Amino acid sequence: MIEAEALGARVGEFELRDVSFVVPAGKYGVVIGAAGSGKTTLLETIAGIIPMKGGVLRLGGKDMRGVPAEQRNAGIVYQHGYLFPHLSVEENVRYGARDVAFSDAMAVRIGAAELYSREVRGLSGGERQLVAIARALAPRPGVLLLDEPFSALDPRRRTLVRREVRAIARELGITVLQVTHDFTEAGLPGDVAILIDQGRVLQSGTPERLFREPASPYIAEFLGAENVYAGEVRYLGDAAPDWVDGATELLARGHRAIEFRTGGLALYTVGDAPAGEGHAVIRAEEVLISAAPQESSARNQFKGVVSEVATTGALTRVTVEITGVGGGTGTHGGTSVPIVAALTTRSAQELVLREGSEVWASFKAMAVYLC
Amino acid sequence: MRKAHRAASVIAAICGSLFLLFLVAPIVRLVGAGGADGLRHLFTDAELRSALELTALTATSATALAILGGTPLAYLLERRQFRGRSLLAAVIDLPLLIPHPVAGIALLLVLGRRSLVGGTLLDLGIRVVGSPVGIVCAMLFVSAPLYVSATREAFARVDVRYEAVARSLGDPAWRVFRRVTLPLSARGLIAAGVVVWARAVSEFGAIVILTYNPKVASVLSYDRFTSYGLDEALPVAAVLAILAFVPLFLLRTLRASRGAAAFVQ
Repeated sequence: MIEAEALGARVGEFELRDVSFVVPAGKYGVVIGAAGSGKTTLLETIAGIIPMKGGVLRLGGKDMRGVPAEQRNAGIVYQHGYLFPHLSVEENVRYGARDVAFSDAMAVRIGAAELYSREVRGLSGGERQLVAIARALAPRPGVLLLDEPFSALDPRRRTLVRREVRAIARELGITVLQVTHDFTEAGLPGDVAILIDQGRVLQSGTPERLFREPASPYIAEFLGAENVYAGEVRYLGDAAPDWVDGATELLARGHRAIEFRTGGLALYTVGDAPAGEGHAVIRAEEVLISAAPQESSARNQFKGVVSEVATTGALTRVTVEITGVGGGTGTHGGTSVPIVAALTTRSAQELVLREGSEVWASFKAMAVYLC
Repeated sequence: MRKAHRAASVIAAICGSLFLLFLVAPIVRLVGAGGADGLRHLFTDAELRSALELTALTATSATALAILGGTPLAYLLERRQFRGRSLLAAVIDLPLLIPHPVAGIALLLVLGRRSLVGGTLLDLGIRVVGSPVGIVCAMLFVSAPLYVSATREAFARVDVRYEAVARSLGDPAWRVFRRVTLPLSARGLIAAGVVVWARAVSEFGAIVILTYNPKVASVLSYDRFTSYGLDEALPVAAVLAILAFVPLFLLRTLRASRGAAAFVQ
């Protein structure tokens, strides 16, 4: 288990401040943040490489104040591997091993054993990362700290190795903390996600919660939400709306039926956001595109014109400009508002979407998150 | 534009060649004039042989002491942040900046018979002034700063994250130094040792104040020049130049060879 309470550290002018989070024993935590946000500093502070300046850090329930790096049982893997160039690949893997058979087994599982006959200098970036991961697992660490450890692997290998690391961690009860700037990667393996910026934790929780309920528009945008709108929150009265399932229960919990106005667009949702200025977030995956109005429960439905179609493999992102003159159920005329929808490429092809196509964009009331 | 570029290249080439000539000509002239004679003297001149043996022995001792004391000091200065670090680094560099006879006088004040340290050592049977110990002290004083500076650079070239990884794998700091830092900085440390040795071999100013006799090669060369003239000093001076040049040449060769690549990060 990794427990940080108001953890602080300082490296030159950069400061890590009031960092608090918990990754339960045997779970996989992911620290997400932009370059220079303090992700690596956080890992190095946990590893004992950078001294703590205040706060509490517990690894496996043990207070780490004054405990040197070599006694923390916390392995660290850097993005560039930092393989010892004066040792062979095999010697690198076995560097901290107490049980050679175990370290070799880890090397086999990660895919580093097949590199034993190679020279460190001749390894590619991805191969270096494999050896570095096997080396960190070899001493059976209680905590594994991974700094963008899969970045140099090809996508197929990345998925396999990540899955294997997760399986090993689960089997051995290793608590993992991985840092990444890639939110799509963060979304896959994590039990706990921690978003960090300028040395401070902005939000932590399950990855699902971070994605669905970002605490700020900055977090929403950082986590890849493409539809983030500034606007005004207005309460619609105390009656339970019929356009949300379970509205009565939500209202009983203090939520309100809300109209959110942005540009010429009125969005409808149920939430506990305060009235006044705020932001609405709608993930592109929640937006449906159709050629005709949907006969569904989607409260928010708008007619618009496709302004961009971008295909990236199996997914296609479609930008629809809602102009307000089209007379959609929620438009009030005026300025144009873009809504991005993520469709499977097959769906996009079936709809024959191209720039200038007239379509309908719709999403459920609960797909609108206010922050 | 092209003309101006060509003119600049020609001027740079002339300046560089003159500079190189200035550095090389005296040594080539010295070795050319006295090298063969000096090597012949090695078989016939017992005083020269003795001086060279003493020079090699004392220079090696000074180098060993520089490695022993300078390596941890250099590591401390390079890797640890502490108050007064810059001051300490400046103090270590000081012997490089003062004239060497002045360094000899300063050493005499601390290690002379009438000083506390020198007197105590004499009581213990260790004579500093007028003995090989004094020569080692003089060599060490003037050449150790070079070792500390070069070793710091060698440590600086080893990324601290190698050490961080090694510690996360369970090695305490001293074992990380032995297993990671030392092998990765070995080339730089060897180079530093060679430079210190060559510098110690060529030292004169501080030695002559502390220990005129027994004579090291540099003092013998001076002694023969002042007593017998240039012709007698020439073979000794040439052999001394060769002695200082050989390890430096070997070091450059080692660096260029593939074998040395093993030390490169």
